[in-house]
Amino acid sequence: MKRKIAVAAALAATLFGAAACGGSSDSDEGATSANATVDGKGKTLKVWLMVDAETAWKGVVDDATQRFTTATGAQVNVEYQQWANHLTKLDATLAGTDVPDVVELGNTEFSKYVFNGGFAELNKGDFENSDTWLTGLSGACELDGKTYCVPYYAGARVLIYRTDLFKAAGIADAPKTYADFLSAADKLQTANAKDKKFSAIYMPGQYWYAAMSWVKSKGGEIATKDGDKWTGQLSSPTSQAGLQEWVDLTKKYSKADVTKNENEQAGIFAQGSGGMFYGNGWEQGSAEEVRKDPNDPTSALVPTKVKGKLAAAPMPEIPSFLGGSNLGVTQKSENKELAAQWIKAFTDAKSMEGLIKANALPNSTALLDKAAENPAIANAALAAKSSWFPPNAEKWADVEKASILQTMLTDILTGKKTVADGAKWADEQINATLNEA
Amino acid sequence: MYAVETPPLKKEPVPSQPRRANRVRRRTQRDARTAWLLSLPTLLILVALLAYPLYRMIVLSFQNMRLRELITGLTPPWVGLDQYTKALTDGVFWGVVARTAAFTVVSVTISVLVGLGIALLMRRVHAKVRLFMMIAMMFVWALPQLVAAQAFRWLTDSDFGVLNYLIDKIPGVDFANHSWFVNPWEGWAVITTLVVWAGIPFLAISLSAGLTQVPKELLEAATVDGASSWQALRNITLPILKPLLTIVTTLSVIWNFGLFTQNWALRDSHPEPVYQTLATYSYTQAFGQSRYSYGSAISVITVLIMLGVMVFYIRQMFKIGEVD
Repeated sequence: MKRKIAVAAALAATLFGAAACGGSSDSDEGATSANATVDGKGKTLKVWLMVDAETAWKGVVDDATQRFTTATGAQVNVEYQQWANHLTKLDATLAGTDVPDVVELGNTEFSKYVFNGGFAELNKGDFENSDTWLTGLSGACELDGKTYCVPYYAGARVLIYRTDLFKAAGIADAPKTYADFLSAADKLQTANAKDKKFSAIYMPGQYWYAAMSWVKSKGGEIATKDGDKWTGQLSSPTSQAGLQEWVDLTKKYSKADVTKNENEQAGIFAQGSGGMFYGNGWEQGSAEEVRKDPNDPTSALVPTKVKGKLAAAPMPEIPSFLGGSNLGVTQKSENKELAAQWIKAFTDAKSMEGLIKANALPNSTALLDKAAENPAIANAALAAKSSWFPPNAEKWADVEKASILQTMLTDILTGKKTVADGAKWADEQINATLNEA
Repeated sequence: MYAVETPPLKKEPVPSQPRRANRVRRRTQRDARTAWLLSLPTLLILVALLAYPLYRMIVLSFQNMRLRELITGLTPPWVGLDQYTKALTDGVFWGVVARTAAFTVVSVTISVLVGLGIALLMRRVHAKVRLFMMIAMMFVWALPQLVAAQAFRWLTDSDFGVLNYLIDKIPGVDFANHSWFVNPWEGWAVITTLVVWAGIPFLAISLSAGLTQVPKELLEAATVDGASSWQALRNITLPILKPLLTIVTTLSVIWNFGLFTQNWALRDSHPEPVYQTLATYSYTQAFGQSRYSYGSAISVITVLIMLGVMVFYIRQMFKIGEVD
C-alpha cells in the first residue's frame, strides 16, 4: 500500500511538477501538505469530531466529506465524541497504534498535545483564510513558528435576557453600558422579589470563563510569560479589581449554586427563574427549545417556558472568552496527507458558510462580518472582535483539569477566602502547574 | 454460615502395612500434581490479569512518564524514589490520606452498626416482612454504583433536587437553591449517606445469615437465667458472630477506602480538593494531568495501606479454618 502512494506521489510530482514546486516552496520539509495528489482509493480516514458537529451542523460535515471523497477516492468514518472525559479517551488511543487521523480538540486543550508531539506539522498556507485565522484559536496551534492544527469554529459569549421580564420591570432596551447592565439587574431584582429562586443574573459559582472576563475587563491577566517562566497574575491589583467586581455581582444578583459550573445554565434558565445570563450565542436556542429525547439529536424540538421570550446582546464593557475548536492530524496517522486534505475541505469558505448558517462563528476574522449578517449570531460575532483566551501555555489544560480557578471562585463566594487570599492561592497553584518540569 | 467455608482436612488413616503407605504416598503425589494442573489456568489468568499490571504499575511508579512518553512510546526516564518522595512530603497528599481514612472509619462504623441492627430486626419480624426486607435490600444491592450516585446527585441538586423541595416545604425553613456541596461537612454527609445506604444490604443479609448460627437454646437459657436482651446480645450473639463480623467489617473498610464512583459522580467528574479521596486523587493526577508515574506511586501507597488492613482479614480466614 505504501509503495502505491509513493508511485502515485512520484507520478503526481512529474505531472504537476511546476505547480507542486510553486505550492511547496515556502513549506518545511517536515510539514504535511494538504495539496498533494493522493490516491485514497480503498482507504478510510478516521475522524474524531465533538458531538456539537453531529447535533448542529452534520450537513456541513457530510458535504465536506463528499467533496473530499470525490477528489481523493478515500472514504471517511466520522466518530462523534462527548466532551466529558474525551481527553482520557484520546490519551488511551494515542498510546496505541490504531489512532484517528483527524482529531478535534477545544482550543485551550491543544497546546498540551502540540507540545508533546501528538500532532503532525501542517503547511499553514494550504488552508483557506489562514492569514486571518482568529488568533484565539490558532495561538494553540503554533509552536516555534510551526503550525500543528487548523482553527475550526469559535463561540463568543453574550448577554442573554428575558424580554418579557425586562418590559415588566420597565427596562426599555438591552443594556449599552456596564452601568445600564447593573441598573437593569436592580430593576429585575425588585420586580421579581416575590420569587425566592429568582436570579436577576444567573451566574454559577464555578463559571471561570465569566469571572476571567471580568478580570480582563479591568486589564487583569491570568498568567504571563517572562522568558521561560510563567507567573500567575491574579493577585495583581487590576486582576483583583475584576475578580472583586464579579464576586460582588454574583453575590448580589445570583441565586445559582456556587459549586456548579456553566454546563447546565441554559437548562436551568429555561425553568424561568432568571432574568439574564452570560452564555454562548447558541445557548439562547438551548434555553428556548430542548430535544424531546435528549439522547437523540434528530428527535423533535420541544419549547420551554421561556420560548420566544429571550434576546441576546453583547455584554457591555466585558471582553468575551473566545472558545472554540481546532482540528489536527495525529502524528501517528498513516494517512497524513489525506487527513490534511479532509481538514482543508472541512475548513474552507464553503464549509464556513455552512457553520455560519448553523449559528457557529467561523475561524477567520475575514468571515466575521459575514457571520454578523446572521441575526442569531450577530452579537456573538461582535463579541468575538473583542475577545480573550487563556494563557497559551503547554500545561494550561492541567490548570483546567485541576479545577484551580473553579476552586478559587467557590472559596471566595462562600467566604472561605477573601479575594486577595483566593487569588494568591490560585497564583501559587498556577505557577506550580505551568512551570512544572 | 460463614462467608468462607473451609472443608475440614481429611485425616489419612495410619497405614498398618508399608506397601499400603507407599501406595498412599504415590496417590497423594499424583493428587497434588492434578491439583496444580487443574488450577494452572486460573493461576495463569490471575498472573496475566493481576500480577502483570501490578508489576507494570510498580515499575511505572519509579519512572517519570508524562504525555510525551505515552504518545510517542519513548521509554520514560528512571527517577528512583522521586515520585514517592514527592507524595510523602506533600501536605496535600497527606490531607487526602487523612480524609480518606476518616471517611472510611465513619462510613464503616455507621454501615456495620446499622447493618447489624437491621439483621437483628430481621430475626424478630414476621417471615413475610423479612421477605419484603430482603427483596427491598436486593434491589438496592443490584443497583450499579454509578446509577445510585447519579440518583443521589439529582436528589440533592440545588436547582431541581427533590430534597431541597421537600425540606423547603417545612414552614420557616428556606432551602430553595440550597447547595449541598458548599459546606464540606454537608457534602460528605451526602456522600456517606449514599455509601452507607448502598453498603447496608450486603452487611444486613450476611449478618442475618450469620445470626441463624446462634443456637436458640442458648438464648432461651440465658433468658431463663434472667439475662437482659442487651446481655444476651453482648455475651452470646456477638461472640458467635465475631468472626463473620470481622470479615464483613474488613471488607467494608477495603471497599470504602477505595471510594471513587460516589464522590466522582456527585461532584460531576471534577471533585474539588475537599472531595478528593486517594482513588480520585491518583486518577486526577494520572489521567487528568498526565502524571502517570505520580498517579502510580499514589496507587502503590494506597495498595500498601490496604494490605495493612488486609492482614486482619487474612488472619481471620486462617482462624476460621482452624476452628473447623
